[in-house]
Amino acid sequence: MSWVQRAPLVRGPGEEGDVFDEEADESLLVQREWRSHMQRRVKEGYRDGIDAGKAVTLQQGFNQGYKEGAEIIINYGQLRGTLSALLSWCHLHDNGSTLISKINNLLDAVGQCEEYVLKHLKSITSQPHVVDLLDSIQDMDLCHVAPTEKKMDEAKDERLCENNAELHKNCSKSLSEADCSSLECCRLQEHAHSENPSLAWILEQTASLVKQLGISLDVLQHLKQL
Amino acid sequence: MAGGQDMFDAIVMADERFHGEGYQEGYEEGNSLGIIEGRQYGTLHGAKIGSEIGCYQGFAFAWRCLLHTCTTEKDSKKTKALESLIEMIQKFPYDDPTYDKLHEDLDKIRGKFKQMRKPTGTAWSRGTGSRARTRLPRPPVTAVSCCLL
Repeated sequence: MSWVQRAPLVRGPGEEGDVFDEEADESLLVQREWRSHMQRRVKEGYRDGIDAGKAVTLQQGFNQGYKEGAEIIINYGQLRGTLSALLSWCHLHDNGSTLISKINNLLDAVGQCEEYVLKHLKSITSQPHVVDLLDSIQDMDLCHVAPTEKKMDEAKDERLCENNAELHKNCSKSLSEADCSSLECCRLQEHAHSENPSLAWILEQTASLVKQLGISLDVLQHLKQL
Repeated sequence: MAGGQDMFDAIVMADERFHGEGYQEGYEEGNSLGIIEGRQYGTLHGAKIGSEIGCYQGFAFAWRCLLHTCTTEKDSKKTKALESLIEMIQKFPYDDPTYDKLHEDLDKIRGKFKQMRKPTGTAWSRGTGSRARTRLPRPPVTAVSCCLL
């Protein structure tokens, strides 16, 4: 932290660190005490500042996150509700266990998707913290600023891309197990949440189910935004 | 004496100055941390509400469409109840955590949904002649207080 540099360091003529040296200039001791006291005050100020700063923006951050979370997850809720309605319909009309178990599987798939998306939503909102550490690293003077910044961003992007590629591969393999695609994570970052292969597969299956039940596809009209 | 007074002033001011410098830096850091932490909490709570409301919404829209295929005059009461529920859901500001009637309206929607789902008489089980048992959507997550401060 930059405040470390601010507390003045004045070297006396005596031996450094030799507080028991009775011949040492007393002013050296006083200076050390003063420095230590000022450092403590800076630290206290920093802590107080963090608390005050947090209090001011916590609610603002909450409101932002709330809106994002609600807007993204509501789509999955709508899909679940629609499937539940179809399930109720099947029960009412005694449509046979095959279709009913198919709907139950799709419901489970949507649930898993939802959990996965939520997990990634949360991890995305926490990522900026990594970049905030740049200041501390800078002050430690371990490496140059520009290359570090660039490297950190590149490393972050690379990690994300690797994760995405890995998860996307897994998803393509296990579509029938209704795993959620990592593309969803990417899309969320880019503020676009269409084209999730797994979600698309669920929608496709739902449409085919509706046809099998002899119901008009209008029943899925409200899911168009997915 | 004036010189002595200035000296003490300088000492007290230095104390405040150092505290102040630390405070400034901490304040900026705190601002960022507040946004990040707040967003994490907010995302979780917003998602819970979105999930629940979305479920009611999806169900209601789909059910309205399904009812259209086989409603009679007897079902008009059910249809009205459904339309009323849909209207309540549409009006609900699901993405606003500062909405003062958030919990009140959410409870009303839940109550109306439960009421609507109760199978009553033959109107709901037409075609089977028996009382249908329906699987409820995943249990709604209880909304928690949304404002932290």
